[in-house]
Amino acid sequence: MSNKKYWRSLEDLNDSPELIKKAQNEFAEPIPMDEFLGSEGVSTNSTPRRDFLKFLGFSVTAATLAACETPVRKVVPYVIKPEEITVGVSNWYATTFANGHDYCEVLVKTREGRPIKIEGNKFSKVTGGGTNARTQASVLSLYDEARFKKPMKGNAETSWSTLDKEVVSQLSQIASAGGQVRLLTSTITSPSTRQVIAEFTAKYPTAKHITYDAISFHGVRLANMSSFGKAVIPTYHFEKSEVIVSFGADFLNAWLSPIEYAKQYGSTRKLNEEKKSMSRHYQFETLMSVTGANADYRVGLKPSQLNNALVNLYNEIAKKSGSATLSSKASPADKEIVKAANDLWNAKGKSLVVSGSNDKDFQTICNAINAMLGSYGNTIDLENHSNFHQGNDEEVASLIQEMKEGKVGALFMNNVNPVYSMPSTWGFEAAMSKVALTVSFDDRPNETTEKCKYVATGTHFLESWGDASPKPAHFALIQPTIYPIFDARQMEQSLLMWSGSTTSYQDYVKSVWQKSVYTLQSDESNFETWWMTSLHDGVRVFSTAAAANVTFAGDLSTASSNLIKASTGGEFEVTFYENAIGDGSMSNNPWLHELPDAITKVVWDNYITMSPKQMIALGYSIEREQEAKSDVAEVVINGTSMKLPVYPQPGQPEGTIGIAMGYGRKVGGKLFVNKDVLDNNVLGGANIFPALTYTNGSLHYMNSSVTIKKTSDQYILASTQTHHTMMGRNMVKETNLLAWQKDKAAGNERETFKVKEHGKHVEKSAEELDLWATEKNPGFDRPGHFWNLSIDLNSCIGCGNCIVSCQAENNVSVVGKDEVRRTREMHWLRIDRYYSSDRAHSRKPEDGKIKMYHELEVPSENPEVVFQPVMCQHCNHAPCETVCPVIATTHSSEGLNQMTYNRCVGTKYCANNCPYKVRRFNWFNYHNNAQFDYVTNNELSKLVLNPDVTVRSRGVMEKCSMCVQRIQEGKLSAKRDGRRLKDGDVETACAQSCPTNAITFGDANLKDSKVAVAKKDERMYTMLDELDTQPSVFYLTKVRNNETAGAHHEETSKPAHHEA
Amino acid sequence: MPTIKSKSINKFNITTYMSMYCRPTWRRLNYVITSLILALFIFTTSSAQTPEEKGEKLFKANCSSCHALNKKVVGPALSGVEGRVPQPAEAWLLKWIKNSSAVIKSGDAYANKIFNENNKSVMPNQAVSDDEIKSILAYIKNPPVDKTAQVVVDPNAATNGSGENAGASSNLYMYVLAILFVVLIVVFTGMRKNLEKLVREKQGLPQVAPKPFAGEYSFAALWYWMRTHKKWVAVITLVLVGYFSQWAWYTMKDIGVYTNYKPEQPIAFSHKIHAGQNGINCQYCHSGVEKSKVANVPSANVCMNCHKYIQEGAITGKKEIAKIYAALGYDPDKQTYSGVTTPIKWVRVHNLPDHVYFNHSQHVKVGKIECTQCHGEIAKMDTVRQFSPLTMGWCIECHRKTEVKMEGNAYYDELHAKLKAKYKGEPITVSKMGGLECGKCHY
Repeated sequence: MSNKKYWRSLEDLNDSPELIKKAQNEFAEPIPMDEFLGSEGVSTNSTPRRDFLKFLGFSVTAATLAACETPVRKVVPYVIKPEEITVGVSNWYATTFANGHDYCEVLVKTREGRPIKIEGNKFSKVTGGGTNARTQASVLSLYDEARFKKPMKGNAETSWSTLDKEVVSQLSQIASAGGQVRLLTSTITSPSTRQVIAEFTAKYPTAKHITYDAISFHGVRLANMSSFGKAVIPTYHFEKSEVIVSFGADFLNAWLSPIEYAKQYGSTRKLNEEKKSMSRHYQFETLMSVTGANADYRVGLKPSQLNNALVNLYNEIAKKSGSATLSSKASPADKEIVKAANDLWNAKGKSLVVSGSNDKDFQTICNAINAMLGSYGNTIDLENHSNFHQGNDEEVASLIQEMKEGKVGALFMNNVNPVYSMPSTWGFEAAMSKVALTVSFDDRPNETTEKCKYVATGTHFLESWGDASPKPAHFALIQPTIYPIFDARQMEQSLLMWSGSTTSYQDYVKSVWQKSVYTLQSDESNFETWWMTSLHDGVRVFSTAAAANVTFAGDLSTASSNLIKASTGGEFEVTFYENAIGDGSMSNNPWLHELPDAITKVVWDNYITMSPKQMIALGYSIEREQEAKSDVAEVVINGTSMKLPVYPQPGQPEGTIGIAMGYGRKVGGKLFVNKDVLDNNVLGGANIFPALTYTNGSLHYMNSSVTIKKTSDQYILASTQTHHTMMGRNMVKETNLLAWQKDKAAGNERETFKVKEHGKHVEKSAEELDLWATEKNPGFDRPGHFWNLSIDLNSCIGCGNCIVSCQAENNVSVVGKDEVRRTREMHWLRIDRYYSSDRAHSRKPEDGKIKMYHELEVPSENPEVVFQPVMCQHCNHAPCETVCPVIATTHSSEGLNQMTYNRCVGTKYCANNCPYKVRRFNWFNYHNNAQFDYVTNNELSKLVLNPDVTVRSRGVMEKCSMCVQRIQEGKLSAKRDGRRLKDGDVETACAQSCPTNAITFGDANLKDSKVAVAKKDERMYTMLDELDTQPSVFYLTKVRNNETAGAHHEETSKPAHHEA
Repeated sequence: MPTIKSKSINKFNITTYMSMYCRPTWRRLNYVITSLILALFIFTTSSAQTPEEKGEKLFKANCSSCHALNKKVVGPALSGVEGRVPQPAEAWLLKWIKNSSAVIKSGDAYANKIFNENNKSVMPNQAVSDDEIKSILAYIKNPPVDKTAQVVVDPNAATNGSGENAGASSNLYMYVLAILFVVLIVVFTGMRKNLEKLVREKQGLPQVAPKPFAGEYSFAALWYWMRTHKKWVAVITLVLVGYFSQWAWYTMKDIGVYTNYKPEQPIAFSHKIHAGQNGINCQYCHSGVEKSKVANVPSANVCMNCHKYIQEGAITGKKEIAKIYAALGYDPDKQTYSGVTTPIKWVRVHNLPDHVYFNHSQHVKVGKIECTQCHGEIAKMDTVRQFSPLTMGWCIECHRKTEVKMEGNAYYDELHAKLKAKYKGEPITVSKMGGLECGKCHY
């Protein structure tokens, strides 16, 4: 190659500054805009109006005509069409989402061979058709651009043959030299994978399998080992519990098996003609958790105070059962503890105490209480235990010790990210550098794969074969729903190959099932038939021996003395919690980041939660307006320092802070790159895993001594709900159980208006004052279906799973933090969370209304919380429909409020006139737009779109359609088959995935359909009934099993009397 | 035959009816006549299927992939088959169709001859009953007149040509009207001038001499004329504006409407040959039409059901069929597949915007609409063209006038009863069931 230099001019050759400056502009000369636009130039503002109109007219015409040309569209059929595929018709496959942290048995909807939606599998005896947000979002993770495209060597792509050759040769060298081989994975419940690992360890005798979970529940196993000699996590039966007491266990959202428990718990919260009682739920906790928000009694306690409270509960129960009491200290919750103890004891055998702590001692006391209450064999089952969360912190700690000592020659890792998720005191990264061969089986980059010598690129669960066994007699299958998108091979296959086996893992799973699962039954004599049925159903459940009662044999005195010793905390105590992001392994999933936190409603970040009262005292801003900035604090926990904004959390005791886990990832996707336009110094949250403490044999997710210091930095958090309370409006109606038992319509008062009739003042409901419905015209005719949606506020736990489900079903755009901050989120379904407020009783008349509203907005110190899912209410007297100038939103004869995107011109009148604020405007094109590089900006992620739903473009309004595509599909399939539509044939995405069955969808014209029954329930009310919008969506009042419900806002939300 | 039968039943009906309840009042008689007409209607519509018609359906469903009447496809042409085979023909054919290999094995001379003539490819056993075979034979013996056969001669007959233009006739009216107006204006002006002339003559006034042009024939002259003939100018302007508006209106309305769109396809596939001459049922290839929202373009392996044997076409020879082989990686000489496939990129003829949801199965299976109603006489088209405008107005129009076929579909039972009560005898069209609501097609 010559060294010639080419230039166009001397200035070019000399790099003249003038030229460089010009070269940076698109046009070398400034465009003569002034000349072009008017005689006197733009700067003097004299573009004549007529000229402007000319330009406008010309460009509009030009653009219109240019848009007329339709591009030639191609249709590319299969060359050889697979037999099972009918183009345009979806196929469903049963599989299982089991990533070690979450477990859900699911059905996957595929269209032309690509998975697009996940729903719960109703055959499951564990998750029972429910899902959680991460399960719903996992389908998007399949189409993650950041995934490895090929196997990796270092940070370069390589081929499988090279990788196999090199790994096997190094592995046999290490093994023959006596070096230790370690396999570090997240929880594996799969019998087949376990067998593969056994084959691998047989081939390499120095190999050992160690289980590590980022969020560990090892303390529970340790406690059960010491209490009952069984190192298991028991199966809890919330559905059999009449009284539930939880010490910081967020069992509806994060603890152990939340989907399972939500399902069980939800069944105890239903009230109807047949079921007239409900469970009573006490929650003693530090942070405001989803579970605490649902409790009948909730007490906020510091982590250290929880210790005392637990011991005190033990003593109360011990007194009743005649056992010895333990030495204890008073706790601020003793009044409630006594009450809880009475209730527990009265419901002996039908009560349950759970604890969220990962401390062995704490769990031991909890076990002792349950043993005294006779829970074992009734509400707790140690026989038919849970196989989840097998992570063994002690083994992991000793593995790292071995690694540090240089004993480990090869380390294989699957579905773990220890560089990110281990406490800094363990020093995993340094220890890893001493291992000669490090191989990861992950399918996407993370902090650990970056440091690995090889990545034997694994597959996503939707591309894999496998099985799972959540409980000893419960088996589930994992089958691929798509061929691996990239050049990937699942871990089991790699391990089989390296062990010298040539079987495909698919056949392997089948043979394992033939040997160990098929033999458990005798109904079906043909294995192939049985196998096909298993694949179809996804699960096989066998009956087990009844749970046995066990004798508690734990060391109570040591446990309690340890707890009491630890019951004095520092000035600040921290508790780490889990929200939709989970353990951070699915952090590159925009659906999860856009899902508002169930309690704070903040998106895209983690932050420090603190009592608002204390925030004011310490000078933090608690303003929650759109542009309000949060003050950033520097917090030091266990030697790890981090900067995070502080967010007010009512209900949290003073002296405590909470931080969510799973944030602060740095490697593995575009979401981790700083894209914040607000120029902040702390970005995308912080990783708190390095601050964990390892004591007493397990990792602890709290710390009783942290320092926190306010900095001068500020940071904007985006929250979808800036108002915390109902501000005296009457959107949520609630009552308590006793009142409901007396009067089924308790708390369900209707708004009335005073009107003058025949010279007398009478009170009339809005319905009676309807302008439209007259005797001649009794309203609209619904001869066919009348689609209604019922939402039971009593069993809605506010988890937010339905939001993601709706997002996946309806191609709802992700808009990013900055847009959410501008209140432009696109979710069709939101869950409003309201705190009760202590309205100042001493308000003087001269204070005025403004002051009253200000006071209304301040939540109580320990507020009651209600969740209310709000989607388009499909009003039959819809305010939006009457104001649309182009008739883009109309009503169907089946009761649906229809939105016609192609007709909409974007006046937004409808959104302005909607009392429920459920309409969403497309401020931008969210697809093919680099500014919104989340889902629909790349060809791969677009594969997740539902082809039956239009992708909306800029300038149009959208909103919940009640999954009209599902309604139409359900109707059509009934028509094709020539049968009547049954209840349950059509389900909306939100209703389908609800773990507690709080949402019910159906045809109210169909006699005895679930929704028709709910509509007749006396708890039924429609939101803002004083407006008489006659929604097709209705709610069932919330009933709390306590004495105080409704008391807080009785005063504020007493039916207002309007002057008509 | 069945028609005769039905008539006799009607006769029986009416006579028994009259003899049993004979009170020949007009009302009664009306009743009887109505029921007679009704019965006639029902019988002629529902049960009047001749064996030939039945046979045609069966032939298309079972035989047409390998046989045609007048042309060798995979198997021999079947016209006059009963004359060729060993007698008694029907008995032999029954045996042959149900199990041809058994007949060959039995040493039947004709069977072996046919077998050898057709590259020793075995005719698969057909799961049809004796009666059905008899119907098929009846059809072969006496096929309905093939309308498409007459067009075959001209390969370009089915091109779009002039194309129907809905606006053409109304345009013509406008032109005729315009000419009429112009003629009227000319006549009236002439009359006026003549009258004026007469008046002046009568009153003895001098006749107005036509003013000469001020200059040469120039722009100024035109300008002068225009100033002096303001009424003419007004009329001409009006006509021009009217004409232009009309032109603009129709042109604009057609923007984005691609009726007669007839793109060239990567493979010169002729529906005329396949659906027309060979009479292959639409659903044989477009198998999704009763199950899915799309009728689906067949995958290349469907082509191979026939083209494994038919390697040469009548018009394009081997050239176009070779493209299917190329797509599949098939070597016709060695009869092997290479495993390398290249999808065929057809050009989509019928395009709907993304914001429209259309479902074929709703219309074809539930609504029982014929393919030709929207797609035109596909069986006469060499290259498919867009027959219908596919505009929303076109959809709506059909939804307004099409009655919903609810009988025999349990889905509609309850709804039908309610709607019948509501509309009291009016036909229940799609629009009356909400078929014009936006959310039925746009979501």
